[in-house]
Amino acid sequence: MILAAFIVTALAALGLIAVSRTHRQMNSICIGEAAVFLGLEIWLLLSGQIPVLSLVLGNQYFFIDHLGLYEALIASIIFLLAAIYARGYVDNLLESRELGRGSLKLFYVAWAFLLALIVFAFFSDNLALFWIFTELTTVVSAILIAILYARDNIDAAIKYIFIASVSMLFSFVGLIFLFQISRSTFDPGTLNWTVLMQQAPAFPAGMMLAAFALLFIGFAAKSGIFPFHTWLPEAHVRAPSAVSALLSGVLLNVGIYGIIRIFALVHRTTAVSTVSILLLVFGLLTVGIAAISMLPQKKLKKLIAFSSIENMGLILVGLAIATPVAIFWTLFHVMAHSFTKAGLFFSAGILHRQYHSPLSADAVDDMHDVFRFQPVAAWGIILGGLAIIGMPLFPVFLSKLFILTQLFTVSLPALVLLLVLLFIAAASFGYYVISTFTQVSQPGPDAHDIVAYKTPAGMQWPIIILIVMIFILGTVFTSGETGFLNTIVAELMF
Amino acid sequence: MSLSFIIYLVINTLVVLAIAPLFVSIIKKVKAWTQGRQGPSLFQTYFNLAKLVKKETIYSAHSSWIMRITPLVSIAAILVAALFVPLVFVPEPVGGIGNIILLLYLLALAKFFMALAGLDAGSSFGGMGSSREMSISAIIEPTTIIVFAALAFVFKTLNVFTMFSASVASGTTSTPTLILLAISLFIILIVETSRIPVDNPETHLELTMIHEGMILEQSGPNLALMELSSAVKLTLLMALLINLIVPFGLSTTLTLGALVLAIVLFALKGTILAGIIGLFESSMAKMRFFRLPSLFAMAFFFSTLIIIIEVFA
Amino acid sequence: MIDPALIQSVIRVLFAVVIITAAYIISTRNLSTLVSAYAFQSLTLVFMALALWSLEDAPILLAIAIITFISKVLIIPYFITTIQERIRIKRDIEFHFLSPTTSLLLSMGLILFIYIALSNILKDTAARESLFFFGAVIGLSLMLMGMMVTFSRKRAITKVLGYLSMENGVLLFGMFVTELPFIIEFLIVIDLIILVMLTTILSVGLDSTLEEYHDRLHRFHLVEDTEEGS
Repeated sequence: MILAAFIVTALAALGLIAVSRTHRQMNSICIGEAAVFLGLEIWLLLSGQIPVLSLVLGNQYFFIDHLGLYEALIASIIFLLAAIYARGYVDNLLESRELGRGSLKLFYVAWAFLLALIVFAFFSDNLALFWIFTELTTVVSAILIAILYARDNIDAAIKYIFIASVSMLFSFVGLIFLFQISRSTFDPGTLNWTVLMQQAPAFPAGMMLAAFALLFIGFAAKSGIFPFHTWLPEAHVRAPSAVSALLSGVLLNVGIYGIIRIFALVHRTTAVSTVSILLLVFGLLTVGIAAISMLPQKKLKKLIAFSSIENMGLILVGLAIATPVAIFWTLFHVMAHSFTKAGLFFSAGILHRQYHSPLSADAVDDMHDVFRFQPVAAWGIILGGLAIIGMPLFPVFLSKLFILTQLFTVSLPALVLLLVLLFIAAASFGYYVISTFTQVSQPGPDAHDIVAYKTPAGMQWPIIILIVMIFILGTVFTSGETGFLNTIVAELMF
Repeated sequence: MSLSFIIYLVINTLVVLAIAPLFVSIIKKVKAWTQGRQGPSLFQTYFNLAKLVKKETIYSAHSSWIMRITPLVSIAAILVAALFVPLVFVPEPVGGIGNIILLLYLLALAKFFMALAGLDAGSSFGGMGSSREMSISAIIEPTTIIVFAALAFVFKTLNVFTMFSASVASGTTSTPTLILLAISLFIILIVETSRIPVDNPETHLELTMIHEGMILEQSGPNLALMELSSAVKLTLLMALLINLIVPFGLSTTLTLGALVLAIVLFALKGTILAGIIGLFESSMAKMRFFRLPSLFAMAFFFSTLIIIIEVFA
Repeated sequence: MIDPALIQSVIRVLFAVVIITAAYIISTRNLSTLVSAYAFQSLTLVFMALALWSLEDAPILLAIAIITFISKVLIIPYFITTIQERIRIKRDIEFHFLSPTTSLLLSMGLILFIYIALSNILKDTAARESLFFFGAVIGLSLMLMGMMVTFSRKRAITKVLGYLSMENGVLLFGMFVTELPFIIEFLIVIDLIILVMLTTILSVGLDSTLEEYHDRLHRFHLVEDTEEGS
């Protein structure tokens, strides 16, 4: 049983962390856990025996299909790189006493647990089970945010927990609705996605619409969709950068994954036209709010966080179009965004270590001589920034291009609006990078104030690897990749 | 007007006058107990009234005829209002007697004259008391209306007599609407009779006093009338609550046995309710003036809920 | 077997009790009575589950009653009370956006809205029986009232109680609309306990004294500077 292997790995990792003493050990265990997960997923991918169905407690609670595997692969890769990156980063946190030694164990336990939770969320067939795993990811990732134990961090974590959990309760009501729909159509009811997909065409549209709206509230809050996005910038800025990368690169995908699953259900009913409009409106609003908030941003991590919101909005727009091509590129965009954003946060983390951005959330970054001190991070930001705003040669370019052309078939005004908003977002990114990175300190009495932070290789390599990966993703297209994504689209029955 | 109705008028007035000072004493006694004191005797209020009647009435040199007629208007309005709420025996309603809206306005009339009298003597405490009383009345007014509207919705009538007959006939004590209604009525009772947390009836010493401030200038038999009218007001509001929520024992036929039983039961239920009021008062601190609306909002909320339930379900 | 009509009327009374506790939770400013009100509300739900169980004879309802009693009547209130004693906060008198009075008035509108919305949505399903329909309405209303508490209070610990009250609403709704598998209910309770523990512990951090916080802030920069210099 492949699932048992995952469970054993996760439990082993948690147990080993509990008994290990040094930071190095705990970090290595987390790297190991992510690596084993990745290995198992690649083995699954290559052995081609998906979808895996598994019976637990007489009910099929878990299954692995192509979409789940795809998301889990993205998550594992980012977790692996982030764990490698975290070693140097956390060392520095410990050195500067921003993180207490006593909290170290909690940090890594939460880290290892989070990976397991996210992967199992992706492997849940039962939607209620998925809901629980998603809800737990909120709590566990909040620990990772609050771990620094500064008041701002706790504030951000509490805000995150309450916005996400309160919204997730609405989702749960949505699930009860869904169960009731399923029960009144085919007795006994079920919440298993695979079965629901078979039954969906018979579901009444009105109830389905209500269920979707309620479910959407929770998953939208998890993925930072307007108007539930308010927790996101704060949490991403306050969290340690290794965690920010996870939040943005992996955790947002959990919410989007939920929306994709539910939307696939709705797509089989007659409620789809209303829901598509709903998604389109919320997508455009999200992109709009993010783009406008990015414009005056003077804080690097906040800028990147708002860029995440923008991309989530774009994904919603892609879903709303609901043609197979659009779904294909939306899925591709999920991956492209995750890798790019992880790279950006890694780079921002190095800069953060170098310049010690003020603790207050509203303070402006004070960066200068970036290329002299941190060339890798600087190039990471520049290339990552180019990638995320959708320059050619990078994968986001492809997904944006195809989503936009697909949007043209639906609505021209929406396309124009989206283009303008994306342009604003891109411009604000460019403006920030140019204005910050060209600051060179004058040779003078206080020029020696800043000492170059000796970035460990472990913090630089993940950035380089990610940049190379997205470059390859953006330029080379293998038939295996296309086939895999097409299988997902087929499985979602679009 | 039938004979039984005339008998009702006599009985009701006698019972309410006789029992009202007792309830006031019980509340004081319970409050004293919770504070670890012995407290005054249960007949202290009667003694007080008797003492006041014997004393001389003194009017302020600045006061006008308002001061002189207020005690009379007050007791008259309240006693007529007391006729609207059968304590022990429910006859067939005659004319407008028992109309719940008229009941409200009779209470308001007494309150209005009391506030005028507070202003009349020209003392600063009286003016403050009157102004506060009127502010609270203005705020509680919508709530009172809604609570009584809810009553009317539940019993499908505006007449208190009919409501009581209906609640005796059904005999239910525990329907959800009645629980909500009881809370609303209780809050109205607390506010209308100037009790903690709205006002402190115990003292003349607080700058925040409301009711006591208004009657500060009254003396002698006039003061006795004012005290009695506030006691009767308390009793009639309590009777409204008791006979709607726990109506058993309330007599609908005019026989001596039933009447005696009803009086005993009413005294018993009234004692328990007075005890509850005393405990409630002891457990609360006086609220700041500007926080009072949240108390009213509670009554408003429950009553509106009742109306929603009654209208839709 | 007990007379179903009697049980139904008991359930109706419990509805009223739930609404009263919800209104109390919205408007009270005293933290310890807030926790008691929550525990009482949960107890009401336990009784409601038991009443429903005797009405429907579904074992899942008995299980729900038991885990609700253990987690929400005993463990969680105890935990919150302990934490409260540690942070020594007795009253919560700060509000965002909504004062308790406004929240109460607003919740009336919400109840009406839910009633109308639900009667439209559930028009053609089995859950149209009056009692179950009322349960659903009151569950959702409780949830929204809890949400108002969560968003209008400033203290994290009262926010938690608002969230818990919301969760009670969801439980009530679920109880009256449909029966979810037990494992799901159980995991939700586990999730709830973890969440409550985390947020209350975090709120201890939030409510620590300001000097301590400044001290920490100060130390960050000082320590960083000296170590880099050396």
